Amino acid sequence: MKLPRFTRKSLCIPYAVFLVFFVIVPMLVIVFYAFTDQNNNISFSNFIKFFSDPTKLSTIVYSLVIALVTTVICLLIAYPIACILARSKLKKKFVILMLFVVPMWINFVLRINALREIFNLLASIPSEGDWWGSWLTGANYFKTVVGMVYDFLPFMILPLYTTMMKIDNSLYEASADLGGNALTAFTRITLPLSMPGIMSGVTMVFLPSMTNYVVSDMLGNAKVTIIGKFISNYFGNDWHMGSMVALVLLVIVFVSTWLSGGFKAEDNVRGTNL
Amino acid sequence: MKRNKTRAVSVALAAMFLTPALGLLGGCGSDEIVLRVYNWEEYIDEGGEGCYDADFETGEPTDPIIDKFEDWYAKTFPDRKPVRVEYSTFGTNEDMYNEIKLGNEYDLLCPSDYMIMKLAAEGYLEKYDESFFDPSIETNYYIRNVSPYIQKKFETNAGLETPEGAPRWSEYAAGYMWGTTGFVYNPEHVDPEMLESDKGGWQTFLNSDFQRKITAKDNVRDTYFAALGVVFEPELKDLRRQFLDGVLPQEEYTRRITAIFNATDSETVAKVEPVLKNEIKQNILGFETDTGKADMVQEKIWLNYAWSGDAVYALDEAESGEEDEDGNVIEGSELFLNFFVPDAGTNLFFDGWVMTNHVNLDGTGETKHAAQAFVNYLSRPDNAMRNSYYIGYTSVIAGENLEMLGYVEDLYACEPDGETETVEYDLTYFFLGEDAEDGQVTITAEKENAERRQLYAQFPPKDVLARSAVMDYYREDASERINELWSRVNSGELDEWAIIVICLCVAGIALFAVSVKFGGKIDFFRLKPKKGYRLVEQKRA
Repeated sequence: MKLPRFTRKSLCIPYAVFLVFFVIVPMLVIVFYAFTDQNNNISFSNFIKFFSDPTKLSTIVYSLVIALVTTVICLLIAYPIACILARSKLKKKFVILMLFVVPMWINFVLRINALREIFNLLASIPSEGDWWGSWLTGANYFKTVVGMVYDFLPFMILPLYTTMMKIDNSLYEASADLGGNALTAFTRITLPLSMPGIMSGVTMVFLPSMTNYVVSDMLGNAKVTIIGKFISNYFGNDWHMGSMVALVLLVIVFVSTWLSGGFKAEDNVRGTNL
Repeated sequence: MKRNKTRAVSVALAAMFLTPALGLLGGCGSDEIVLRVYNWEEYIDEGGEGCYDADFETGEPTDPIIDKFEDWYAKTFPDRKPVRVEYSTFGTNEDMYNEIKLGNEYDLLCPSDYMIMKLAAEGYLEKYDESFFDPSIETNYYIRNVSPYIQKKFETNAGLETPEGAPRWSEYAAGYMWGTTGFVYNPEHVDPEMLESDKGGWQTFLNSDFQRKITAKDNVRDTYFAALGVVFEPELKDLRRQFLDGVLPQEEYTRRITAIFNATDSETVAKVEPVLKNEIKQNILGFETDTGKADMVQEKIWLNYAWSGDAVYALDEAESGEEDEDGNVIEGSELFLNFFVPDAGTNLFFDGWVMTNHVNLDGTGETKHAAQAFVNYLSRPDNAMRNSYYIGYTSVIAGENLEMLGYVEDLYACEPDGETETVEYDLTYFFLGEDAEDGQVTITAEKENAERRQLYAQFPPKDVLARSAVMDYYREDASERINELWSRVNSGELDEWAIIVICLCVAGIALFAVSVKFGGKIDFFRLKPKKGYRLVEQKRA
């Protein structure tokens, strides 16, 4: 009997097994639950209910907005930092980068709890008629977004930094040589070449911030409901509706990944999709 | 011939598959049995230094109750196989239910009242043996020691209107802990008299004096219950007046308020929804799961809707601070919180031990015997005290010789010294049953403690229980109705400006993404060249 030959392809077997059991099978289970009713008969009632219910749609819009605002703020903060870090001649810039990344190593529930306490402290600052304290106490959306930005900022900085590090410095020299000023250099070199970094940063911030309901529960006093919380609520009692919500989220993720070009295997994307 | 061959193959295959299974069964069946217990997190004494029966002078830690049970079982039933407890925990009734439904195997569970009903109705549970309820057997600690009041609640399904032929709790469940719900409040900001007035009670949720200073629970059952209290407070108060005037007997009164607090028909839901969504949600700080206790202690909020066990914990925590010689608080806080149960009625809840069908899998009754012995062991007064002290909730155990009274006295009794006001606190109903004449079992306690502090929360007076109702589970269509209500309450409504901003943003990003995707170049600015240079027009292909 001939033994199967060990080839490089065989190295993929563990990953393929992982993929089947932890990605494909669970997804099929979600699809199954989404399109069945309590008695496991095929049914589209969850689908119809979902898209005819304004509260579910507005929750999705809310999550989209929170995620969008978070992403934009993260980008606005992270881009200059990554730019400066990548182009500076500092020898110890690794240390500065670490300062942004180290919080990621601390348990995130702990950090959000700490942020909650900081907000409590800030709200106790005396003001005329206590407008500040009462505003901050009730500003659930504001606090949620701050928490999200705080939580996801490193995920934006890292891919941006790695792509910008790889931009060849001679391009800037050439730009200066040919008469381009700093703005030209930025719009013609930095921005286009850091696009893959922006894309992967955006994907890594946008998608999780749609579902991270721990932040909205802790900082928004559970008055802010995002889609992740919805799914979790439904999974307490009604797996079928919960699966439908999860499936809709999956479709949103899929579309936004397609739009951001996440499926293209470009050379310059390599290493930026962390 | 061919047929025989197939059979031989299938037998061989079956043998192949069965051998490991048999080996497993044999492995644990031969010398010990495994009892799989599934309980709430932090819901049993896990031993250590701070236990109730630990020796405080030597600081000697005690063993966890589970270890002690295994030893006790081997000693008490020498002719039975020894038992090993496999202990795991869950966070919510719903998590536990999902685990059971998915087919995870546990022998003994500790769900709450409504979940016991649900599991029993769906046929997951095993009845206790008749001998379990025979008080003449020495080791039947449960039936010998359980509070007659609680056992009666179990036997009458606590006044719930159940469909014909629905199982009784007492056949499936043995009580463990119980409590009520109410408000923990900070008397520095909240006037106790106000709470008794028309703006108090359940209406506290709507009281604008406490805007963003009050929290509700982040789960649909408790919050819906509270909202029912708000909406039907006039009816509930009316029933209470009738009860106090003696027009309405206790049994009928309990039945009527239980019906109100369990109304889930669409008419009621439609009535409750606007109150919950537009009034309660706007007035409260938010829905919390476990931040309420800390927020109370920090005085971030003044009122917190809480379970009595959590209330006791919050009260203890708030006043645990230490003072230095000049009376300044140096560690923790020294805040004296109070507990209040609305006059109109409240929730009474139980957690009880139930056996699943899996106890019969071994076919010998050994597992079932061990499960019942486990419940009995936990019900032995000394163990009930340990657990109650560790968890903070109130045990259902009274003790056949009123052993539990010693525990209550230990925690709450005080000698009248002329300075503090004391009262005789009546607990006859709990120790001797509802029908026993009042005044037979009392302890002398601080007036304050008996009226609005730990003693009141942990061992409520008969009057509080008289106006309390148990929650049923939401049956078929009610479940969906309430879930939808909860998701509508949770989700926000959008303002017009928000919608416009959102649409613009989404459209912009989508356009940008699509244009990049289909080959467009990013070229936002036409820039002026540096001084001395000239822009050469590029030809595009």
